[in-house]
Amino acid sequence: MRAPAFAPYASRGRKPIAAILVTFALCSTASIGLSIWQTARTQHSAEVLRVAERQQTLASEYVQQVMLVRAGQQSDPDVTATILRLSTDALLDGGAVPAVPGNDDEADLAPTGDPVVRAQLIQERRLVDDMTATGAAYIAGRPASSVPLTAGEHLAVRAPLTRLRVLSMLTADAALNTARTIVADSHKDVMNLIGMQAVLGAAGLLVSLTLALALVAATRRQTAHFRSIVDSSTDLVIVLGDGGCRHVSRSVTAMLGVSEVAVLGDGILRYLHPDDRALVRSAQTSGRAEEIVFQLVNQHGEWRTLEAHVTDLRNDRAIRGVVLNARDVTERVRLQDELVRQAYHDGLTGLANRSLFRDRLEQALARSARAGGTVAVLILDLDGFKQVNDSLGHDAGDRLLRVVADRLTETVRTTDTVARFGGDEFAVLLDQTDEALAVSVARRALARLAEPAVVAGRELEVAASIGIALYTGEAGGDELVRNADVAMYAAKDAGRGRHEVFRSEMARDPDELLGLDNELRYALARDELTVHYQPEISLSGGEIVGVEALVRWTSPTRGPVGPDVFIPVAEASGLIAALGDLVLREACGVTAGWLRDGVVGPDFVTWVNVSPKQLTMGGVQDAVGRALRSAGLPARNLGLEVTETAIMPGAAADRARVELQQLHDAGVRIAIDDFGTGFSSLAHLRHFSVDMIKVDRSFVQGVERDAKDTAITANVVALAHALGLVAVAEGIETEGQLAHMRTVGCDVGQGYLFSRPVPAAEVTAFLAAARDDAQAA
Amino acid sequence: MLACAGLLALAEWSGGGGSGPAVRVVRITERDFHIAAPRRIAPGRVRLEVKNDGPDLHELIVVRDPGGARLPLRTDGLTVNEDALVPEEVGSLEPGVPGSVRGLVLRLRPGRYEIFCNMAGHYMSGMHAVLLVG
Repeated sequence: MRAPAFAPYASRGRKPIAAILVTFALCSTASIGLSIWQTARTQHSAEVLRVAERQQTLASEYVQQVMLVRAGQQSDPDVTATILRLSTDALLDGGAVPAVPGNDDEADLAPTGDPVVRAQLIQERRLVDDMTATGAAYIAGRPASSVPLTAGEHLAVRAPLTRLRVLSMLTADAALNTARTIVADSHKDVMNLIGMQAVLGAAGLLVSLTLALALVAATRRQTAHFRSIVDSSTDLVIVLGDGGCRHVSRSVTAMLGVSEVAVLGDGILRYLHPDDRALVRSAQTSGRAEEIVFQLVNQHGEWRTLEAHVTDLRNDRAIRGVVLNARDVTERVRLQDELVRQAYHDGLTGLANRSLFRDRLEQALARSARAGGTVAVLILDLDGFKQVNDSLGHDAGDRLLRVVADRLTETVRTTDTVARFGGDEFAVLLDQTDEALAVSVARRALARLAEPAVVAGRELEVAASIGIALYTGEAGGDELVRNADVAMYAAKDAGRGRHEVFRSEMARDPDELLGLDNELRYALARDELTVHYQPEISLSGGEIVGVEALVRWTSPTRGPVGPDVFIPVAEASGLIAALGDLVLREACGVTAGWLRDGVVGPDFVTWVNVSPKQLTMGGVQDAVGRALRSAGLPARNLGLEVTETAIMPGAAADRARVELQQLHDAGVRIAIDDFGTGFSSLAHLRHFSVDMIKVDRSFVQGVERDAKDTAITANVVALAHALGLVAVAEGIETEGQLAHMRTVGCDVGQGYLFSRPVPAAEVTAFLAAARDDAQAA
Repeated sequence: MLACAGLLALAEWSGGGGSGPAVRVVRITERDFHIAAPRRIAPGRVRLEVKNDGPDLHELIVVRDPGGARLPLRTDGLTVNEDALVPEEVGSLEPGVPGSVRGLVLRLRPGRYEIFCNMAGHYMSGMHAVLLVG
């Protein structure tokens, strides 16, 4: 048993229509047949009637003819008698009716079926016989009483002529009454026919009506079925055809909050976004299968975005239109927009972020290169913002930043871009501008910012310093921003609430720049920073098992600057990321070179320090990945030294822990630096997989003097071994320290006793020599 | 004929008005060419039930005490002159088809009545009878 296939558009109406046609045909055929039959009958009846009436005349003529003969004149009553007798026979049993000479034609009759008429005709025949017998007796002069009467007459008269006349009268009367009965029958037949035709017509009409109603009901059901499918669908269905909108599903009217009538025809145009009219019209006229996106406004004035698939069903008789199967994607689009906005905007102020600013800047520079015009970048830094944060709290600081953002936005054209780079640093991109315009924007911005702002119930005066850099057709976007930054510091140095336009001398004259962070910034840009490497020696074998990469800075103005001095500055200014990148790139590149040259073994590890600040800022994983990839260095040859706090649980460190864990999973070695000086928990060491523990130099250097340090170093080494880790002693400077560390079983040593941190080239020489020694041995 | 219709109406009127129980039924049978009826009946309201046994159509005319052996004839000498019998005529039935039964309600006083069919030649052929009331 298979259920009938669902076919909503199948033509169910064919059967009823065929049945209607058949009924009409049958009824019409029956009706026409009846009419033809009745017409033939009526014609026959008319003929019978004519013959019956003729009998009346013939009976009278017979008497006259008898009288003529009796009077001795020429006449032929026998012919008349014969015609009378034959006519009666023909009327009764059918057959040819003889013609009256010179009067009418012969006729052919069918036998009579009506018993009443038959009885009358039989009586008429008897009367004709009685009359002609009497007539013959009268002519022959025989007495009338000698003639036997057969029709039941009781004639009291004896006079033969009178008898003959009475018989003639009876014959004529019988003929007349026969004719009357025939007419009455014929009338009855016609009435019957009319009745029958009426019944046939009514029956045909009734059947047709019933079938037509069934057809209408079936069509309605079919339509209702189609509608209910469409309406129950959550899809928004719009059918467009000639004359506009032909149908919308209930979901559409529900979404718009209007009745279907309001949307049909041209009504839909009222709800369609003007920009989308051409698109929808083109879909309607082409019917091309495609996805279109358009907007409809509902009764609350809210725009809904619809994504529709276009289907051409203009040739489908049930639809006759182009069908848009749409989904409401308003929320999705909103979410996408929001995500894009979040990715490119500053969450606090809603301004563009650094990424978007850079993007816009590149576009502006490309436009400028193509079409001319100058691009200007303004970097704005608030003066004394830190004090606001410190004295009024971060909430107040945030509110102040929002005020600044609003004021800056008001100051520039809508085509210009205002961004927040982080902290209290803002940037403005001016497209199609020149120096004078840029300066006037800076002035306006400073003036607007100088207006008092009420934040947290306090009236604050905001001052800012603005640096302006103009695109000269040489530098790229990054350099333009850097130049504006330099100009901004120049403005700050020159006194607060000022603006400066970047001049090339500014970058070349570091004396004008104050502050270690700025110097560091330029040091990074000018490659003043170098990386040195301190070997790590296996205490058991004496070979170099690794190196620790250490950054060194020799400032042109300050001379050598120690990491203990500039690392905190780098951390505070955010330069630590760039610094970290630099060291990672260098270290990976150098190590990859050693591996390639075969001066180190496959287990050689170069260790790079990662500061807690770097970890909390995030991006270490990416930076390491980039450095390894670009150098082509296997992950196992790189190690990261982190402090104990980096692996401690805590909101800020969680992301860092995850990043480190993932790096470790990828093969990168992890060491705990300065072990014992921080706040550590052994439990964390159990859960966080590291490869190496570095015993802090303060313990190592105290082993010869302090029994406690001796005990600590021994225990740390024992602990490392218990956890399956390598122990490294940092800062070994004397033979005594070395001897002690060997005694407690420390695996690796590092310190001035072996080597100071040296440039890569020296390490290379070392390593080559060590390799050659090993080969010689 | 008009008089005939008038008398018929009168007869029907008298029939419709007489709702008394004493309506006697008198059966009369007509055929070609004879009328069969009781010879004598009691006076008062009677209903003549006239059956036509055919084969021809037959009428029935009732006249009271026309006098003479024979009813007056028209000039053709063959049919009864009904116009001459208007005073005597008490009721009549138009020609009835073969097989029909028709009723004629009359109030008959004692006396001699004659009933006949006056269709062409029927009277002369013997369609008449005498009805004695009383």
